[in-house]
Amino acid sequence: MDLPGYYEYHCSVKVIAGHDALEKIPGILQDLHACRPMIVTDKGVAGAGLVDIVLGAVKDQLVIGAVADDVPPDSDLRVVNRLAALYREKGCDALIAVGGGSVMDTAKGINIVVSEGADDLMKFSGAGALKRPLKPLVAIPTTAGTGSEVTLVAVVKDHERHLKMAFVSYFLLPDVSILDSRMTLSLPAAITAATGMDAMTHAVEAYYGLSKNPLSDATALAAIRLISGNLVKATRNPSDREARLAMANAAALAGMAFSNSMVGMVHTLGHATGSVCGVPHGVCMAILLPYGLEYNRHKREAIMGELFFPMGGSDVFARTPKEQRTDRVIAYVRQMNQDLHDASGGRHARYFKEVSDREGKPAVPRERLPDIARTALGDGSIFYNPEELDYDDFLMVLEAAWEGVALDSGRIRE
Amino acid sequence: MNSYKEIQSGSKPFKRAYVALMLWFVGRAIEAAARVDGVVKAEFDGLAPGFTFSLGVMPQGPTMIVGKDAQGLVKYRGWNTEGQKIDLKMKVKNLEGAILMFTFQESTALATARNRLIVDGEVPAACAIVRVLDIVEVYLLPKLIAKLAVKRYPDWSFGEKVRNRIRIYAGAVLGL
Ligand SMILES: [Fe+2]
Repeated sequence: MDLPGYYEYHCSVKVIAGHDALEKIPGILQDLHACRPMIVTDKGVAGAGLVDIVLGAVKDQLVIGAVADDVPPDSDLRVVNRLAALYREKGCDALIAVGGGSVMDTAKGINIVVSEGADDLMKFSGAGALKRPLKPLVAIPTTAGTGSEVTLVAVVKDHERHLKMAFVSYFLLPDVSILDSRMTLSLPAAITAATGMDAMTHAVEAYYGLSKNPLSDATALAAIRLISGNLVKATRNPSDREARLAMANAAALAGMAFSNSMVGMVHTLGHATGSVCGVPHGVCMAILLPYGLEYNRHKREAIMGELFFPMGGSDVFARTPKEQRTDRVIAYVRQMNQDLHDASGGRHARYFKEVSDREGKPAVPRERLPDIARTALGDGSIFYNPEELDYDDFLMVLEAAWEGVALDSGRIRE
Repeated sequence: MNSYKEIQSGSKPFKRAYVALMLWFVGRAIEAAARVDGVVKAEFDGLAPGFTFSLGVMPQGPTMIVGKDAQGLVKYRGWNTEGQKIDLKMKVKNLEGAILMFTFQESTALATARNRLIVDGEVPAACAIVRVLDIVEVYLLPKLIAKLAVKRYPDWSFGEKVRNRIRIYAGAVLGL
């Protein structure tokens, strides 16, 4: 095993997982000396009845100060400041975030404002601005993918000034994350598939990235094993409670891995494609993951080969000669995309030319690829990628991912 | 009677002086490289007018500052951050981390991966500056060492590289 000469690992989140984990919330808040939480969520989550499930599990033991259900799909500075004022007005003393990435980011943002006794989140941007623990935050994810229930980052957008602010602090880690199968049972097949592939990408990029370490490796491998066994199942049969709980666990494990080991070029290109063409993050991850493996392969061959163990299982792994394992890993990820495509009735995209927007038009026109490549040059996740990429390299990868063909190994510069 | 010893945090003057010298050298080399190397020039051209960044060691330095002037020319601006508007601050968390970086035992990428650097400022600008630092390192260091310091050693044509290298050394050492 590769032991780095130096590494750091931090995860202070208490995880409570099960088919009836929500019922633990009142006791958890009591331990954290809180008794009047505010629930932060969005209309979609509330509309799907998920907030009612949470309320049903806690309300005979707990007073809820307010249910703020108007978080927009894209976190927003003004909403953060407004909901922070609501929190104060209602005399709340803790936060329960029920939702996906935007809800988690918003709740973390609110927590900064209310804990610091401020009125504007903007004052706390920049490294090291947070100096002490915040109010208790309980995270209840309603997708299995982003891992933000165990990460220390909050991204909040200032839509008026077109700025995207990233807040990074150990104090932003939720105190407790609740993984309850009931929260993802109603997730549609295509979203299940895409968010699940986001978790897969977190684990895979963390495992072969420059910051890999024994602790993030352990969580990454466990995540990959759970995803390999359960993602197609959960996509094919959304009401499979065991598969749902397995995926919720996998997403949290992958979140622990990548928040300590970071991600690489798959996320670099995914962030850029998201910002240029508005393609959902998970969709980009599913399409680009095989290319991250192919592009970095010459630097990480042996490490990538190890991934075939949690993917293929111990028997198949043992039967496969070492020099074939990375090939099998790459083939496995591509086959997984194909299986998800089939399991979702063709809604899970396998390559960029297959992605369509809400009106059914192509979401990633080929002529936008140069814009995406240029945007990618400014994304920090590239630091953690094993191999260098310049504009031409990004474009080469994007063109292959658009068409859905393997990278030409002769064009990868070593 | 027991005497309870008090330990002061040390100053490590030699290591500090070495890092200060390297920062001075790299700062002046960046100024020269921005004149000589097309890619470095293009990276700076892509940054906002007047863009200034610092690279230093926490908690008390040393530090070096490089910025674009009113004409868009890249200048080494010394070590004193006072009174300068700095858009991007890159700080190595401690002197030992800086020693690893500036004795080229650890690449910029690996130092970032090992959480030895704090970046305060816009991320796209930080990405551009790291690319500039990589190119400058390739110019300043012998191939064997530079190969460890950057992820991918560029396949530059030999003649061009030697010519640029001489001009960058002349700029950094003699201020030509
Ligand atoms: Fe992701």
